[in-house]
Amino acid sequence: MKKYLIIPLLIMLIVLPFVFFDVLPSIGDMKSAPNTHVSDYYIENSIKDAYSENMVTAVIVDFRAFDTLLETTVMFLAGISVMIILASRPRAAQRMRSTLDAKKSKIKSIAPVFKTINKDVMITIIEPIILIYALYVLFHGEISLGGGFQAGALIGMVYLLDVLVIPDRHNLYRMSKSNSAMIAGLGTFIYCLCGILTLIGGGIFLEYSNLPLPLTEAMKHSMGILMVEIGVTVGVAGTIITIINSIMERVRFDDDNY
Amino acid sequence: MHTLLLQAILLLILIAITLSIIFSDDLMASVIIYCAFSFITMLLYIVMGAPDVAFTEAVIGVISTIIFIMLLRTIKRKTKSKKK
Repeated sequence: MKKYLIIPLLIMLIVLPFVFFDVLPSIGDMKSAPNTHVSDYYIENSIKDAYSENMVTAVIVDFRAFDTLLETTVMFLAGISVMIILASRPRAAQRMRSTLDAKKSKIKSIAPVFKTINKDVMITIIEPIILIYALYVLFHGEISLGGGFQAGALIGMVYLLDVLVIPDRHNLYRMSKSNSAMIAGLGTFIYCLCGILTLIGGGIFLEYSNLPLPLTEAMKHSMGILMVEIGVTVGVAGTIITIINSIMERVRFDDDNY
Repeated sequence: MHTLLLQAILLLILIAITLSIIFSDDLMASVIIYCAFSFITMLLYIVMGAPDVAFTEAVIGVISTIIFIMLLRTIKRKTKSKKK
């Protein structure tokens, strides 16, 4: 395998002198194409149009809300496809499994247990702090850095740590594979619901200043951004939990075969 | 100028890390070095002035490393060494 790795490296070295890096704009060049029209408008009008102090949030969730909607959908589809691929059971392995069922060797635990970490410390200190931080990132994302994606990833990380450190916990703290996939879809649904609410208010899709709420325009914008961020958070957390659950099932299945 | 120098150093470290990921015998070692890769990428994003992306990279790097380590249980860890 490693013998053939040299071929792409050689091709890269041969092609490299012929690539003209002068064509690409240098970093921070004010005359390059993306910096001439769009960026200046975003920098000048992000507070006036979107009422959001964090420019990144204004661009991601307000100016380019369609992009983020489709990104969330793509992530949901990726989670579902990982679930389908990992849940498929090859036939030969199934036959082998039926022969192995007679032997029924010792049952391994689902996940590798990290025995050096104290479970009480995990439950009482680490997990609540990460969860509180996730909520802070979610609700403060309009002003400081952060937002829906990061908060969802943090919530997924709490689930992952919980599964790894305490594999034999009560079922109340676990989520089935189909339920987590449903929650990932729910996130995208919340996002679309925000767009439908703006349609009801008489605007175009995801135009936050037309939300049918008795608020000022700045409040409407912040409510719309918050709703979209909550949708993204739920979607990302559901996707990560789906991937973790399907990997868990596959690992258990493969362990039975050996 | 200083940030350009810092970027150049970080990019060189990235190239070295990538080569060591490809040419290591143990898959566990490659996964751990991959974690270092995502860390250096995070530093690069911070130097370039994108703390939002750096935050995402930090969280996702940790999660993907843990998932890779979980999946390593199901396959053989080491490739065939030439000495045996």
